[in-house]
Amino acid sequence: MADIAHNLFGAFAVACKPLYLYYALLGAILGTIVGVLPGLGPLGAMSILFSFTLKLDAIGAMILFAGLYYGAMYGGSTTSILLNMPGEAASVVTCIDGFKMAKKGRAGAALTVSAVGSFIAGTISIIGLTIATLFLADVALRFGPPEFFAIGACGLALLVRLSGGSVLQSLIMIFLGIALSTVGVDALAGVERFTYGIRELGQGIELLPVAMGLFGIAEVMLDIEQNEPTQTVQNVKLRELLPSREEWRRSIAPMFRGSFLGFAIGLVPGPSPVISTFVSYIMEKRLSKKPEEFGQGAIEGVAGPEAANNAAVGGAYVPLFALGIPFTAPMAIVLGTLMLHGLSPGPNLIRDKPELFWVVIASMYIGNVMLLVLNLPLINVFVSILKVPKHILLPVIALICLIGVYSINASQLDLIMLALFGFIGYALRRMDFQPAPLVLALVLGPMIENYLRQSLIMTGGSVAGMILRPICLSMYIAVSLVFIVPLVWRFVRKPRRSESPGLSETGPGVQGQ
Amino acid sequence: MEANNLRNQRITAVVLFGFSVFYLISSFWYKMGTIRKPGPGLVPMTVGVILFVLTTIYLIRLFVAKPTERKEKAVSLEEEKSARRISTTIYGMLGCTVVYPFILELMKFVISTSVVAFFMLFIMKPQRPLFSLCLALAMAVGSFLIFSRFLGVALPSGFLEELLFRIGG
Repeated sequence: MADIAHNLFGAFAVACKPLYLYYALLGAILGTIVGVLPGLGPLGAMSILFSFTLKLDAIGAMILFAGLYYGAMYGGSTTSILLNMPGEAASVVTCIDGFKMAKKGRAGAALTVSAVGSFIAGTISIIGLTIATLFLADVALRFGPPEFFAIGACGLALLVRLSGGSVLQSLIMIFLGIALSTVGVDALAGVERFTYGIRELGQGIELLPVAMGLFGIAEVMLDIEQNEPTQTVQNVKLRELLPSREEWRRSIAPMFRGSFLGFAIGLVPGPSPVISTFVSYIMEKRLSKKPEEFGQGAIEGVAGPEAANNAAVGGAYVPLFALGIPFTAPMAIVLGTLMLHGLSPGPNLIRDKPELFWVVIASMYIGNVMLLVLNLPLINVFVSILKVPKHILLPVIALICLIGVYSINASQLDLIMLALFGFIGYALRRMDFQPAPLVLALVLGPMIENYLRQSLIMTGGSVAGMILRPICLSMYIAVSLVFIVPLVWRFVRKPRRSESPGLSETGPGVQGQ
Repeated sequence: MEANNLRNQRITAVVLFGFSVFYLISSFWYKMGTIRKPGPGLVPMTVGVILFVLTTIYLIRLFVAKPTERKEKAVSLEEEKSARRISTTIYGMLGCTVVYPFILELMKFVISTSVVAFFMLFIMKPQRPLFSLCLALAMAVGSFLIFSRFLGVALPSGFLEELLFRIGG
């Protein structure tokens, strides 16, 4: 404990350097802007900023991304509450009660509760991140290739279950991502694969053009297709920002519940910030003494989900820092950035480069304070960004993507890849495919392949030897249960329903009991 | 599923199936090795087989599915025009991103970026070409200064870029 405090104080001293404070501020502001703008989520923004981070040191890049991710969660709620228009997917739930509150003249209170909830959640998740990462990293030092293969494979399997949409489509995306990850020189045998004589493909398919194409360019196309007019924006007066005593009283418990729930969900693969908001909303509604108020402007419906989505961000960092395995698409971008800076995240990173880990933790906290201080007074400034006409904003985003991709390797092939994946992303998203599993599989693919081959060599080709190790076996069992339990549950519930049809009329609450 | 949507889904499924077949066949070029000592072709071949099975299931599902009856809905001339304009804009923007890699090194940064930015702005709002031209130039010069001067990125440079670099200090 004394070690943690010592490291953290040292990290605060570094994170408070003017340059790092500037990066934290920049990340927080850019993140809030991204959150406010509908369509361009944190993932798209991180893909676009990826090229900029090359000019920063690794710590600066991590600070920028952490501020951006948290800022996007803060900013997303603003448009949900004021305009009934979620800035990004994790703020969809906030629209339900947030906008109803705004219609009743309580927009300011909803925004303050959302910001304070996000701050509390951010703080709790940072503490959780510190403790969980140190514990997990310590355990992970004893892991071998079979364990790392199990984590990667189970992570992808869970992604199928949790990423939403059709299981078949998610599976296709994952295996497509793994297939793309096999392009380039094989790390173990040194053989070129699927390069077809194109020298530049020897390095493999780069993450940046794929991510920017699938999320940046495709988003521009989808935005054009939606053809939504530029918003008319209502202003919030500063004196309206303070919630009443009753509103505070009703918000505190949901904020804490949302924080712990969000952090726990953040540890699981998939779009955790989005899932956590839905789970938190349902939980608050079930726990509320006045569930009928939900959907009519209940402040708990804003406080809980907003805390949950922020806490999930902290949770998502744990597997990346402790195991070197990203479980969400934004974390895949963070991993890519670290690798471009010559660092490989995982248990050894905390041992070999502790200053990076601790400074990022400290700067997350500083970023959270900045967001709380900045966001409420400047709320009208951020919302006014929505006044920028789309016919200017969208070409600017597309150009940043183009120049950003070129700036990494000065490669024409990367630009062609960007255009290609922009088109693929647009087509896939129109057909209800989720591109996030593809990006994650592209990043995890080489890791999983290498660990699989190393494990097979290590165990003399025994698949049982790979599976029947205590940690691996428990992981495979846990993931299998995630798939089997819902099937069994559905099977068990069907006959019961037919035995007592009266139950269904009493509502889901009774059935659940 | 509506007929139009189903047709698009089927096209996507055929493309995915085609890719999986191509990938699977290509994976046989590499040494499989043995289970004790896996070669560079083992994982691609396994992934290829799984992808082939998945895309085949997806393809069969879509070709077995029947399109739902589409409710007759009167489409006004205005709506039709708007839909056509949106698809022109989308393909125009995509076209700009495809063209950019090929003209960047040929025309150097400022001119190629201005040209692409102009077309993007013009496609988005065709009524104001002069405004689009000025904005495109500003975007190209601005991005050159940001990327080249502040971030130190080596961009394709000619006379104009060197001049800008000197003016920028």
